Amino acid sequence: MARLDSVVSKFYKEYVTKTPKKLKIIDAYLFYILLTGIIQFVYCLLVGTFPFNSFLSGFISSVSSFILAVCLRLQVNPENKNEFYGISPERGFADFLFAHIVLHLVVMNFIG
Amino acid sequence: MWKLNSKGGFTSLIIFTVLALAWIAGFASRLFAVIRFESIIHEFDPWFNYRATAYMVEHGFYNFLNWFDDRAWYPLGRIVGGTVYPGLMITSGSIHYILHLLNINVHIRDVCVFLAPIFSGLTAISTYLLTKELWSTGAGLFAACFIAIVPGYISRSVAGSYDNEGIAIFALQFTYYLWVKSVKSGSIFWSCMTALSYFYMVSAWGGYVFIINLIPLHVFVLILMGRYSNRLFISYTTFYILGLLLSMQIPFVGFQPIRTSEHMAASGVFALIVAVAALKYCQSVLTKSEFKTFFYFGVLAVASIVFLAVVVLTYAGYIAPWSGRFYSLWDVSYAKIHIPIIASVSEHQPTTWFSFFFDLHVLVPTFPAGLWYCIKNINDERVFVVLYALSAVYFAGVMVRLMLTLTPVVCILSGVAFSTLLDFYLRDNDTPRPNESDDEEEKAKTGGRRLYDKAGRVPKMKHEQVREPDGIGSNLRSFVLVVLVLLLMLFSVHCTWITSNAYSSPSVVLASYGNDGTRQILDDFREAYYWLWQNTQDDARIMSWWDYGYQIAGMANRTTLVDNNTWNNSHIALVGKAMSSNESAAYKIMTSLDVDYVLVIFGGVIGYSGDDINKFLWMVRIAEGEHPQEIRESDYFTEQGEFRVDAQGSPTLLNCLMYKLSYYRFGELRLDYRNPPGFDRTRNTIIGNKDFSLTYLEEAYTTEHWLVRIYRVKKPHEFNRPRIPVSSRIIKSQHFTSKKNSKRRKGTLKNKALVVKGKRPLKQS
Amino acid sequence: MFNLLILCALFINAYSLETVNKQIVNKNIERSIDLSSQLVKISATLTVENTGKESASNILILLEPKTKSNVSYISVKNSLKEELKLTEVEVQDHKSKQFYKVELSQSLQGGRTIVLTLEIVLTKSLIPYPSSISQKDRQLVRYFGSHYFYSPYNTLKQKTTVNLGSRNIESYTKLKPVSQLESTIVYGQYANVQPFSIDPMVIHYENNSPFLTVTSLKRLIEISHWGSIAIEENIDILHSGAKLKGPFSRYDYQRDVGSSHHSVKSYKTVLPAAAHSIYYRDSNGNISTSQVRVRKDWIELELRPRFPLFGGWRTSYTLGYSVPSYQYLFKTDKNQYLLHMRLLDHIFDDMQVDLLETKIVLPVGVSNVQLTTPYEVERLPDSLTYKYLDKKGRLVISLRKTNLVEHHIQDFEVVYEWPSSLLFHEPISLTFALYVLFLVIIIYVRLDFSLHEAKSEHVKTQ
Repeated sequence: MARLDSVVSKFYKEYVTKTPKKLKIIDAYLFYILLTGIIQFVYCLLVGTFPFNSFLSGFISSVSSFILAVCLRLQVNPENKNEFYGISPERGFADFLFAHIVLHLVVMNFIG
Repeated sequence: MWKLNSKGGFTSLIIFTVLALAWIAGFASRLFAVIRFESIIHEFDPWFNYRATAYMVEHGFYNFLNWFDDRAWYPLGRIVGGTVYPGLMITSGSIHYILHLLNINVHIRDVCVFLAPIFSGLTAISTYLLTKELWSTGAGLFAACFIAIVPGYISRSVAGSYDNEGIAIFALQFTYYLWVKSVKSGSIFWSCMTALSYFYMVSAWGGYVFIINLIPLHVFVLILMGRYSNRLFISYTTFYILGLLLSMQIPFVGFQPIRTSEHMAASGVFALIVAVAALKYCQSVLTKSEFKTFFYFGVLAVASIVFLAVVVLTYAGYIAPWSGRFYSLWDVSYAKIHIPIIASVSEHQPTTWFSFFFDLHVLVPTFPAGLWYCIKNINDERVFVVLYALSAVYFAGVMVRLMLTLTPVVCILSGVAFSTLLDFYLRDNDTPRPNESDDEEEKAKTGGRRLYDKAGRVPKMKHEQVREPDGIGSNLRSFVLVVLVLLLMLFSVHCTWITSNAYSSPSVVLASYGNDGTRQILDDFREAYYWLWQNTQDDARIMSWWDYGYQIAGMANRTTLVDNNTWNNSHIALVGKAMSSNESAAYKIMTSLDVDYVLVIFGGVIGYSGDDINKFLWMVRIAEGEHPQEIRESDYFTEQGEFRVDAQGSPTLLNCLMYKLSYYRFGELRLDYRNPPGFDRTRNTIIGNKDFSLTYLEEAYTTEHWLVRIYRVKKPHEFNRPRIPVSSRIIKSQHFTSKKNSKRRKGTLKNKALVVKGKRPLKQS
Repeated sequence: MFNLLILCALFINAYSLETVNKQIVNKNIERSIDLSSQLVKISATLTVENTGKESASNILILLEPKTKSNVSYISVKNSLKEELKLTEVEVQDHKSKQFYKVELSQSLQGGRTIVLTLEIVLTKSLIPYPSSISQKDRQLVRYFGSHYFYSPYNTLKQKTTVNLGSRNIESYTKLKPVSQLESTIVYGQYANVQPFSIDPMVIHYENNSPFLTVTSLKRLIEISHWGSIAIEENIDILHSGAKLKGPFSRYDYQRDVGSSHHSVKSYKTVLPAAAHSIYYRDSNGNISTSQVRVRKDWIELELRPRFPLFGGWRTSYTLGYSVPSYQYLFKTDKNQYLLHMRLLDHIFDDMQVDLLETKIVLPVGVSNVQLTTPYEVERLPDSLTYKYLDKKGRLVISLRKTNLVEHHIQDFEVVYEWPSSLLFHEPISLTFALYVLFLVIIIYVRLDFSLHEAKSEHVKTQ
């Protein structure tokens, strides 16, 4: 337990010091998306999933926003630069926007 | 700089030419049927697709999505928009729309007929792209040329075979290409494109399940091999989540992607990869030893949790268990026992070795070589193609129909094999020159030429080039090359031969060849269907075996009871029961279903083997599945357990409706002088029950070669009548008139009818 | 008295009501009725005398009651075989009767006689009786007519010959004197028949000639100045004879081959000699059972419907072909063209067509269109259609007429102006479009390069 404690505190320290500011913004965004997802999930547990497609589209859209933001974070992260050869942060962001356009068009169609 | 540029230009010109030639050759070799017969839709299912497309073109897309077809599955009807993969119709509909915007007045039928050949070119190009990503440009060109003419794919994409598979193989290959591309690059853009292409595939064919299981499998195996990367994470998660959402947009698919077991592997892998990514992130922070324990524990925990969740949800009923067709994929004998209707379709039978060779020819032996090369030089993408190959081989072995999914990967791997071989045997010759482009040239040339059966010049060129340098083994080299080129030539000859002989008959029109080589066209199907269209009431209901449902709807425009959609087994069983009962029992079923006409296919006059008597046992089996009390398969066999229609046949068989309708008045017909009357050419016997008459039905039409026989079901007042004394005739007419204006005199009518007729009117009312 | 009459006549003329000229007498009438096909073809030679003093400029022809809707074709010729003008008129005191006024080329002087040939073709006047028969039965029909030639004038003597085309006569009315020899019945001679006298004639006989009615014929003529004219006919056919009762047995049908039967297996269509690329199809595709025979002056097409036609059965098909335009399209002036084609063409012998719709698609950009038809037709509003790569539509002239027979196979004429420079309009626009396409591709390829470089620079600067 103590080890876990130390691990967590070390983790936090590392995060605060080493993570660039850009990534922190993304992390904040991620946290926000996570909250919306959780709220929706709780809502469905409490009230039910009645318009199933609406619930699904809402939930999946928050899941995919989360995923896409994680992807963006991975691509932007300078530590991974050699892994994503030829994908500049700008390119990554353009791709991110493109994916979001696709996603939200579909969600709008699906939500009914 | 300029030189290099022109070299690149030259290479791309060659690539372009080869692909264009592959497209043209593929297109041309699919036109045998159109040239021999005409521009017509083939087979059975394409007729429905064509009808639906024509409906969409006429009434618009939204009406098509909401189309309730009351001409099928009488009296149930069918919600077509929600039970169909609309990709095919939308594709051809939009081509038609664009052409009409340009005022090119092409009939929608022609668009439909030529859709599959045109898409075969696109398939060739996407195969080229995929193989290029996996191996090299040369291998890609080979693969493109192979897929353009390989019979396994041509069998489903000849002109007129307007079926989902025609465009689905393109969508499949293209999705795989984009997937490999996105795994390689780790770009969100490419995986979005993968998801979109997957969406097209979902809209086109039920085989999309293959993609949604294969890609997760790939990811899973990569993770197991320790080849996890952030690129993989990005490409898979983006693809999965978008693909999931997109696939649910197809009405027919609906919520299946989150409810059925077939799709659960994908979500499991999704959860797994997210967990792995989280662990990896932790790894970047933690020390190695700490992490290792975390990692294995975490992976195991996630995998087992996901698996348990799926199992629990399945039992709780949230997730539908696997459908019958999928069970039959794992257990070959499953369908035979449980679902005769699936087993009765010939393309659901296990594949024979012969048909592997028939459809793939020289690619069968070269494909393992390509597989071996891929395994030897493994990387992320090649893992994919290896998995693709292995799973496709398995599925193709289970079902003839799935040969189609095997064909592209065989082409890819054979392309790899050939390209590597040629690389190896040509490399030494031109050491000073840059290897790549020249090799490609050679391959391109062989690839391009080979399409035209005239590869005569190619080996010569090879000889010259090979002989120039004096090295040891040049003889061996040239020998190998000659053998390879010969193989390719044989392959193309074989492909052309197969295509022209086996896969290019429309099956709606039959052709027979006389002794002097003249061709006679037997157009009985269309004769009968057109007769139905022109000479029956618009709302007449036709009972026939389900094979002909789509054709009747498409070519005769009449209401059918059952058709090739086979979604309602009990309805089909009811028709099967009517066909296998005796006339009076069948009449009860037919009146309860409001049948006006019965259509049977009878090949006894011309020796057509695919007729209803030969399919009859399936009808009995399917009927027995639902009505085991009334119908028993064993009743239709002789005591020796044989199925025969001659005098030794079982009496149940010789008196059932199908037998009577097929052989009505056939006993009088003498086909030639060597045989007695009533000689059935299909089964080579003299029929057992020659002299019988029909009580409840009358012959309405029989086509020229007796291939299609249509009977009209009599109305209750039309049979069971004493023989025309004048007095009773008057009563008849009275009854008849009173029936017409029955509103006023309902009470008296009922009484009268009862007195005169006894039983039947009672039953009817 | 005379003055009054003239006044009266003038008065009536003003209201376009005719009177019967009592001075005119039918001196002799030889009538022959041909009932051997599905049509009733009546031809009569009238010898008309003007017994009065006044010359008569026209005479009246009267149709038998209730035949108005069946009359498909009527013509009157004089002894020089010139066709005389016919107009429908109403006659005072006989308003319910159907008259035609024949305008004579030279007015008939008092005391002179004139010989006229009257030709009438009636459709749907042979009624199958019994109205439904079984496959083996013979087809019997009844003809209802009049023993006397129905005329507003006094008839001195007349004779009627009826040709049945079959020896099997069930019954016929016998107004003496009458004689029958094989398939011919001769009524008459009858003398001094009063005006408007009628005596019903009924003939019940066997008629196995094909009773086929073209219920609808849609003819599309498409002109291309590239050298050919495409003609497409959409034909709906009904067997209008006695209906088939009970089953159809292929076995019986195959057994009695050859003999004349009331069902129709095939028929012959005559096409122009220059016709090529002929197709014969229906909505389910090509009908493979047809044969083309090239004769000296025409092309004979033996068409076999998909199935034999029995009474009450119908079928429909599309027949199309092309003819070279130089035979039908003439350049009359600079930029002015004359199209000279058949409004209706042959489908089978003794055909009857219920409804004809002919559409003529003119090339893009025509102007000053003038149409002349051989007989009166209804002209539907013009429309536009778009063919391959048209930007402007093509003018479509639609014509419509009901109840036609072979006698209506006549030519119409269309004159229009059309600048010949338009001929190359479409190839040029196509070339231009392709050129633009290639240009776009070239630009795209260049653009791709520049984008790539820009991006790499961008990365470098970072």
